[in-house]
Amino acid sequence: MKRILIPATIAVTGMLAAVVYAGTDPALVTSIDAGPSTAAYLQFNEIFTGDWQQYGKLFTSLQANLFSRIFLLVVTLVPVIFFFHYLAIGPKKFDHSGPQIYYFNLFARIIHWLAAISFSLLVITGLLVILGKMLGGGAVIRNGRSVHILSAIIFTISAIPMFLMWLKDMLPALCDIKWLFIIGGYLSKKKTPVPAAKFNAGQKMWFWLATLGGFVMAYTGYFLWSFQGSVDNLRLMVIIHNFLGAALTALFLVHLYMSLFAIAGSLGSMISGYKPQDEIDILHSRYKY
Amino acid sequence: MGRMKFLCDVERCIDCNGCVVACKEGHHIPVGVNRRRVISINQGEMGEKSISVACMHCSDAPCIAVCPVDAIYQRDDGIVLVSKKTCIGCGYCFMACPFGAPQFPSGQVFGARGAMDKCTFCAGGPEETHSKEEKKLYGQNRIAEGKVPLCAAMCATKALMAGDADVVADVYRERVFTRGSGANAWGWDRAYKKK
Repeated sequence: MKRILIPATIAVTGMLAAVVYAGTDPALVTSIDAGPSTAAYLQFNEIFTGDWQQYGKLFTSLQANLFSRIFLLVVTLVPVIFFFHYLAIGPKKFDHSGPQIYYFNLFARIIHWLAAISFSLLVITGLLVILGKMLGGGAVIRNGRSVHILSAIIFTISAIPMFLMWLKDMLPALCDIKWLFIIGGYLSKKKTPVPAAKFNAGQKMWFWLATLGGFVMAYTGYFLWSFQGSVDNLRLMVIIHNFLGAALTALFLVHLYMSLFAIAGSLGSMISGYKPQDEIDILHSRYKY
Repeated sequence: MGRMKFLCDVERCIDCNGCVVACKEGHHIPVGVNRRRVISINQGEMGEKSISVACMHCSDAPCIAVCPVDAIYQRDDGIVLVSKKTCIGCGYCFMACPFGAPQFPSGQVFGARGAMDKCTFCAGGPEETHSKEEKKLYGQNRIAEGKVPLCAAMCATKALMAGDADVVADVYRERVFTRGSGANAWGWDRAYKKK
């Protein structure tokens, strides 16, 4: 009898102890019930919509309301302003029959045109994507995106030697402030010498925005092409890409107007490399030739 | 017309991925594109829960708001669809979507993304219903046949429900009710049961 009773007593005591212990240990009790579904929803929200509020909301509202309007404003307002500038003040004309100064060497011209053509394509195809709604989308815009990617590669490659070869001449100087105060003399018809060396303050602004800004565009654009990293990072990249793109488009149009219309025959200097001495004495009065 | 909605019951989903396989197989979706996926939390622990998510077909969908070419549109019954012929693959919809629904096939020119692909609620696309082109671009059009989407039809535990919002909500409400909350609160059965 004892042989059965003792082990049985131990077993029963053990079981009782387990029951009592289970009753007092909260971990054992709560682990059976995992809590309400709403607690799980919070965790799912964290996975799906968690970071959406940070840049997702911002990107959505910017892209839905602002970006296409900014670009539309830039491509309409800037040409309209220049149209009136052309009517009111007109182009600056210089004596092209006088002595010519060798201003841009062959290397600089090749690099400039490589960057210029690829950059123009970038602006055009970029605008195609941004203003795609008006053009109906589809194959034309899709191919525009492919051209955008290809020209981005060409531009980035050509922007590196361009940055290095003009870096010294593009460093800010004191006379740039004077140039900015009179806006380069473009608001008057008078031909008075303008304070500028090889490049004026306007050209310098364009240079820094196009090269450093261009590298930022290439960097952010790389992410938009590869879709690497977190989604929130992509949202930030696209916001930077679009704001900077609008600024670049605006200055691109300025550069286009200056070279094609505002200074008569200035396009020729980037083709032949020679600038008339008359033009240099007025627009780049501090340039030593 | 009713409003089509998805509802995934986390208390019932068992992470079997039947919905994912049904969707991929039924629509012949290319590798790398997942219209639907199952996410689990607390894996291997007590309180593990799973949920199956595709496009939610949102009201005021952010993807429609950001699309630069108006390729995405919403039907009267709330289903959000994409026109793959208009889409340029820019990926803005992916950045706007809180649920990660838009997917992009790779292997295009310069590694650029192709046209966006996402859950169609098994309602095809803008092309002619049941045409070869619609099937090739968007998969089956079960809604036009009066059938429930593949994923919901395939769901073994009926965790995933799809259909008219009112009906789906009613089913879910009844489930929650039966499981024990509200009037079926804990202890009520024992304490207040009438003899």
